Amino acid sequence: MKLCVACGMPMEKPSDYPLGDESKDYCVHCARADGSMQSYEERAAAMANFIVMTQGLDGRAALAAARARMSRLPAWKGRP
Amino acid sequence: MSIESTIITKSTTPQSRSAQKLETRRRILAAARRVFAREGILATSTAAVAAEAGVSHGSVFAHFGTQEGLIAAVIEDFGEALSLHLHESTERGAGTREVLKSHLDAIRESEGFYARLAVETPLLPSEARLSLVLIQSDIAFHLSPAIEADAKAGSVKAMPLPLLFNTWVGLLHYYLANRELFAPDASLLESRGEELLDHFMSLISTGGKR
Repeated sequence: MKLCVACGMPMEKPSDYPLGDESKDYCVHCARADGSMQSYEERAAAMANFIVMTQGLDGRAALAAARARMSRLPAWKGRP
Repeated sequence: MSIESTIITKSTTPQSRSAQKLETRRRILAAARRVFAREGILATSTAAVAAEAGVSHGSVFAHFGTQEGLIAAVIEDFGEALSLHLHESTERGAGTREVLKSHLDAIRESEGFYARLAVETPLLPSEARLSLVLIQSDIAFHLSPAIEADAKAGSVKAMPLPLLFNTWVGLLHYYLANRELFAPDASLLESRGEELLDHFMSLISTGGKR
């Protein structure tokens, strides 16, 4: 099973991949509408929004958690 | 080529070195989870983890860099297992109660460690605390389709996901943090888990059944 390089989500079925393209290393949630991978800032904002929607955290705290998580993912390693 | 040299050649291939490295990492993570459960997360030294894992002290640093790195990795490893467990329930189209039961089952496997997390989270290094935030969001995310379906079917009250989820976690963490009072010498989730689940479901249920 592949893990998305940009968010860590397990990718098991074609619908987990952008446009169903299983050759991609990132998941459908980390892709733009055209199938390309979101930028670092786009992904950080989306992940922070996910945290706010699920746990109701303050937006700045959620963004800090998103950036911390991203710093350990292959797509974003080395980013501040 | 002698048998001995064949064994030596095989044991030093890049693949076997990589497998050994992964195995050592896995052993350290499992050992750390056990010692954290017994002694507490912040009270545990990296030397104690190395002794429990049967590896050198240096090996812990080679794999995780710092004590903070080790704590964050243990939490992340636990979160991944929890997430996979919940992922399986969600894939089956489980209802709210079943997903929450699955959450309890996954925690029960490492109840001692999780209880330490419930108590020590605010004191942990920032990297570890932030890791936990993502784990909790992931759990809420897995719970969300079940709640939406049950709310649509009229068996669960429509309420904001964060409040519903945080109420569940608050209840669970209070009991786990005080488990020696609620279930001395026993697993809290084994002895009281069903009761907590029943209570929470009664809070969010409309009275209908699913």
